[in-house]
Amino acid sequence: MSENKFEAISALLDDNNVEQSLLNEVKDDDKLGDTWNRYHLIGDIMRGDSADFINTELANDIAVAIAAEPTVLAPVSRPTFTQRAKAKVIQLSKPVGQFAIAASAAGLMVLGVQQANVSDEGQIVPAQVWQPLPMGGVADPVSYNYSTQKNVANPKQAYIEHQQRLQALLSDHNMQIKLQSDVAHESDDGIPDPLSENHE
Amino acid sequence: MNFFKPFLLLALFSTPAFSQDEAESEPAVATQQPPQTKEQAITAAETVKAPTALQWLQRLTHSMRTLNFDTSFVVVRNNRAEPYRWLHGISDEQELELITLLNGPRKEAIRLDDTVSYFESDKSPYSVHSNSIRAPIPAALFGDIEKLQATYNFIGVGKSRILGRPAQLVRLESKDKQRFGYWLWLDIESGLLLKVAVISRAGELLEQIQFTHLMITEKSNELLQQLTTAVLPEPLSGNKAEVKLPWQVNWLPAGFELIKSSKRNIQKVDTEVETLMFNDGLVDVSVYVLASDEAPRKATVNQTGATVLLSTLRDGYEITVVGKIPAKTANTIAESISFN
Repeated sequence: MSENKFEAISALLDDNNVEQSLLNEVKDDDKLGDTWNRYHLIGDIMRGDSADFINTELANDIAVAIAAEPTVLAPVSRPTFTQRAKAKVIQLSKPVGQFAIAASAAGLMVLGVQQANVSDEGQIVPAQVWQPLPMGGVADPVSYNYSTQKNVANPKQAYIEHQQRLQALLSDHNMQIKLQSDVAHESDDGIPDPLSENHE
Repeated sequence: MNFFKPFLLLALFSTPAFSQDEAESEPAVATQQPPQTKEQAITAAETVKAPTALQWLQRLTHSMRTLNFDTSFVVVRNNRAEPYRWLHGISDEQELELITLLNGPRKEAIRLDDTVSYFESDKSPYSVHSNSIRAPIPAALFGDIEKLQATYNFIGVGKSRILGRPAQLVRLESKDKQRFGYWLWLDIESGLLLKVAVISRAGELLEQIQFTHLMITEKSNELLQQLTTAVLPEPLSGNKAEVKLPWQVNWLPAGFELIKSSKRNIQKVDTEVETLMFNDGLVDVSVYVLASDEAPRKATVNQTGATVLLSTLRDGYEITVVGKIPAKTANTIAESISFN
């Protein structure tokens, strides 16, 4: 780097007229660029506004990162082998999905039985696993799939059985709503009304 | 459809007038003579500037029965959301409808005119003679709206924006304190549902149905056309083995009528269950009684969304009251039961 180039940069800084070729050189040459930055920094410090000078390192980092990026050419429109294979898998997996649901239900059931067994040892209270009181709502029906035991003496067991019954009654209620046919709705007259004496 | 279109236009033009007249239009029940048929309801809407709440509801029923639409909604209870898709259409003068649960095990309901078939993963499919799918959209909205006026006040409240559309809010408020309120947001353009909320007496939101997508089309959906060729289970015969039960319910909120009484075995319940079911036009309440040798137990309440499960044990019977009613009402019903 010749001295006169640095001088030229200095002249550029001072808004003196310079040739276009110098500007291009500064742009392309890292060393000249550094000098340009340094001169500016010196100027900033001298003017006392160095505190908010812009860190040009960041711009450099981004430039390096962009250079390192692989160039993406136009994507190939022809499907690759893996894509064709995938398309076939989707077709196959549709009927299989139904078995998958059954399998997961079985998985839950096995889990449930294990919980019930643990409860006999009095180590873990299974009620806490799916405790629906007070406002949490009734747990999912799947949680209740494990086998019923006739041990009513155990209060925990009684509680579980009670919750199971509630769940069963709730689903029965929902079922009965659906079973209502409009015909039955309109011909109420035929049904003996136990309220007729007391209610109306 | 032909006479329906001018009505739509009218509804659109007359919307700015609604807000001033709202105060006068409530309670709608007292001021407006209920029209006798749907056709009359619509002509009434043409003459009266602002439709009353009752007319909004009649229009809802009419729209749900006559339009071709494809819509999705989410039922929100407690912290759980269940997404559904709902298709309705008219094809060759036949009403076709499909509601399907989108998450988890399959649950579908199909309606061809007056036959509804339910397909659920844990039951074998069955069909019922009914002119509406019973859940999760309240069946009352499809039927005799005027009947509800005995127990509910219809109040047209105001407008808001739901699903990106201008909506009219209509509230069904119980005349007594024994029921929850239903708030319906209706699409001003089509009259269809955009949102339903079940609100407690304290103003607490218990359950809601929020629509997430609504598309109204000229022709019915291709998917619905296929239903006409589907093989559906034979409808259950309406054999109502009504039985006289050895106990009775001595108190119910006004307007509740007995729907059915039966004695049967329920899956996962060891003993035979005796049950009565009541309906006030909008809400279903079931009372279950089963013999028990356990010690008497005070009432416990489980609540999921708006559905309350109240259970108590006395006199050697376990009593359970289920329905979308406040726990206090359920408790009064349970306490009123007397055994012969």
